[in-house]
Amino acid sequence: MRSALAALAAAALLLAGCGAPHADFHIVAGSEEKTFEPIVQEFCASRNVTCRIDYKGSLDIGLMLEGANAPDVDAVWPASSLWLDIYDAHRRVKDLKSIASSPVILGVRLGKARELGWIGKPVHMDDILAAVTQGRLSFLMTSATQSNSGAAAYLAMLAAAFGKPDRLDPRALDDPEARAKVKSLLKGVSRSSGSSGWLKDLYLSSVAAGHPYDAMWNYEALLKETNDALRARGGELLYAVYPADGTTYADAPLGYVEHGQGKDAKAFFDALQAHLLSADIQAKIAAFGRRTALGMARPAPPEADWNFDPSRVVPSIALPEARVIARALTLYQEVLRRPSLTAICLDFSGSMQGDGETQLKAALQTLFDPSQAAHSLIQWTPQDRIFILPFDADVREVDQGDGSVASQARLLGAVQRQSADGGTDMYACAERALGEMKPFLATGQFLPAVVIMTDGRSEAHQGFNEVWRTDGRDVPIFGVTFGDADARELDELATMTRARVFDGRADLTEAFRSVRGYN
Amino acid sequence: MTISRRAVVGLGVLGGSIAVTGTAVLLQNDPAMRGVLGKVDTLRGYAGGEKMAFIQNPKTVRALRRFGLALDAERAGSVDQVRDPQLLGTNPQFLWPSSSPLVELARKHAKVLRDQVIFNSPIVVYSWTPFADGLVRAGMAMRDGAHYYIDAHKLIDAVLARKSWQQLGQQDLYGTVRLISTDPNKANSGFMFAGLSANLLAGDVATEETLPAVLPRLTELFRGMGYKPDSSGKVFDDYIAGGPGADPLVVGYENQLIEWILADPDRWARVEAAAGPAKPVTLYPRPTVYSAHPLLALVPQAGRLIDAMMSPDLQSIGWRDHGFRGPLGSVGAETDPLIKGRMPNQIVAVSPMPDIDVMLKILQALA
Repeated sequence: MRSALAALAAAALLLAGCGAPHADFHIVAGSEEKTFEPIVQEFCASRNVTCRIDYKGSLDIGLMLEGANAPDVDAVWPASSLWLDIYDAHRRVKDLKSIASSPVILGVRLGKARELGWIGKPVHMDDILAAVTQGRLSFLMTSATQSNSGAAAYLAMLAAAFGKPDRLDPRALDDPEARAKVKSLLKGVSRSSGSSGWLKDLYLSSVAAGHPYDAMWNYEALLKETNDALRARGGELLYAVYPADGTTYADAPLGYVEHGQGKDAKAFFDALQAHLLSADIQAKIAAFGRRTALGMARPAPPEADWNFDPSRVVPSIALPEARVIARALTLYQEVLRRPSLTAICLDFSGSMQGDGETQLKAALQTLFDPSQAAHSLIQWTPQDRIFILPFDADVREVDQGDGSVASQARLLGAVQRQSADGGTDMYACAERALGEMKPFLATGQFLPAVVIMTDGRSEAHQGFNEVWRTDGRDVPIFGVTFGDADARELDELATMTRARVFDGRADLTEAFRSVRGYN
Repeated sequence: MTISRRAVVGLGVLGGSIAVTGTAVLLQNDPAMRGVLGKVDTLRGYAGGEKMAFIQNPKTVRALRRFGLALDAERAGSVDQVRDPQLLGTNPQFLWPSSSPLVELARKHAKVLRDQVIFNSPIVVYSWTPFADGLVRAGMAMRDGAHYYIDAHKLIDAVLARKSWQQLGQQDLYGTVRLISTDPNKANSGFMFAGLSANLLAGDVATEETLPAVLPRLTELFRGMGYKPDSSGKVFDDYIAGGPGADPLVVGYENQLIEWILADPDRWARVEAAAGPAKPVTLYPRPTVYSAHPLLALVPQAGRLIDAMMSPDLQSIGWRDHGFRGPLGSVGAETDPLIKGRMPNQIVAVSPMPDIDVMLKILQALA
């Protein structure tokens, strides 16, 4: 950040017709803080400071701080201090203060909650497990290794499964019975994501499409935002289930990242933090359904029709030391999560020749390198099923494998053998991918996804939309753009299939990593 | 001697240069007058986080200046500052940890020229009205005006037995009787609470002989807390931010809530006015342990800091604005009406801490 004076100088330069860089204060926040961007921006504007807020998953914020060099950001605002405890080993984040908090709870479609007999009753994790086992309930939940709300739900499951729900006993991680219970609970995951804010949008789009999901693990406050949106369009609300065993709170701490910016940046940070913790702003934050600290603001009024009450005392789970939590997250990724069924369409058309081909191969190298993948907690396991489909105008070949080390090496070999040539038809690849996945989809054991990486334009292919609608089994089709890809085609597919497009133009490896967080 | 700053300036203007010089020579020997004459020595050292607000209080800064002193104090955990070679390697001029046994430990690692307890603060348990009232109904606590007393032994037993509030007959409260403190290996409030708990489990002040028998339960008590922050300030902030659901019972210093109330009276007015029963309350364990705040002079000039801190001015700021009791545990003369009745005049049941070698064994077991 530069001072207001510098901002004025920059503005003057702009007026003079020079494209001068602008003053900048850079914040990286969890997606659930997006709600407060107008409040932050208004404050920045009042100080003549241009603020940029990027939204990242909790793990990404952690990994960013873990590196050898301090990241080029001025402040972080993750969902929970848990991730800083695990990853900020250099203690780069200073002056952390919680801005607001929200417990992670289960929102269940009212009709479903009624059917399960949960209205007005205490619901325990065992009740949720029973409903999942009987095939009566599935839910959306973010990836426990990538996003805080999923991690919170998962840690609560683990604590409850060990029979001591008020704390996560480290022994739970090695207890076969607790593991089996959590594994069964996680079979209930119908869709996952790397972001809690995006999960809310996913739920809303399922309602818009007329096929609402049963339920969603998310923050109490994000369930309120979801229900506010549903109320506006007359949709069926999500009933708030506060697990009677206990839950995990997100404390949304805002902290300063020291990287030699100087006193102005720190002074601006202090002012911003004080502003967000002022009585007026805390009242606004509370009105969004967040819980604010003692004496800060009056909580939002209860909404009895969906059991929402931010004044309710919800017991939290005592979490263990950071290293135990880190081990629990690895356990999720390697043993307990619902296995992935992933088909990856890779564009090897002529336009990928040269640098494109090199970058693509490097990205896949990272994706299928067990130790690099493990660092980002996206490692595969032998339970996963993977298809690699290199394509140009046609699908060149289909390579099938699992997440074992040998199988990953073989899949990677298949990619390395390709060389770029020919036309582009991603639709043909998507259709083939669905066909190959079919027998696995039928088992209901996997969390499926198709990922299409392309740098070009495909011939319009209306037929594919029809195929997906009639026989797509709700498989999301994620896009990774590259080169001069026409993002509109991928966007359209992603919208139809309720998936998401990742921009691989800046960093293809990063884009593949992100997409793994959704599967 | 009480001569105001204005009086001295006036004397200078009226008396001419010879009179001023003469007065200066005379007054330089009076520690309370040094700063008035513009000579300020800055002392560098470490202090526990719970005293930072007092150290940074503008009234404290002004009062010290009158003694010709300024503080460059860095926050450091009480246990760390007396034994961490990295911290001691920076040649601090003073140390200001938060408990007496740590003076003995400091002597093992640094040359302490002088030490003096400046403040006292009993270890307390912070909770919320519904839980405190539940403890009263369950026969574990009693209310006395705006504060409560709790049977420390019964509390520890309930925590160790993982008793649910329902088992204690409190149907309207969810969850178990759960308590957390700071990490005893890093911060003093956890260190003190570990000493108190060891005494309670041993049935008397824990000794080398009785310790082995109590260690398993003591370890279980602290392990059951899960992740423990490394500063009492963090535990208290979490308690305030998390509320009764996240933090039903936390270990802290008596002065923390007082300081929090006095720091923002409007905020406190909102707490008092809020509907709903969950208000912060202080439970005084019976017995408790006193967290003394001994100031350790490692260089001769720091001796003057001890004298300054013992002066009525600074003692009064410590009590009035921050809730610190005097060296003998007595309350100050003037109490802010906002916090009236929140602190008992006297803490009767005080247990001595186990000696430092026993404490070091405890720390090792809890590491």
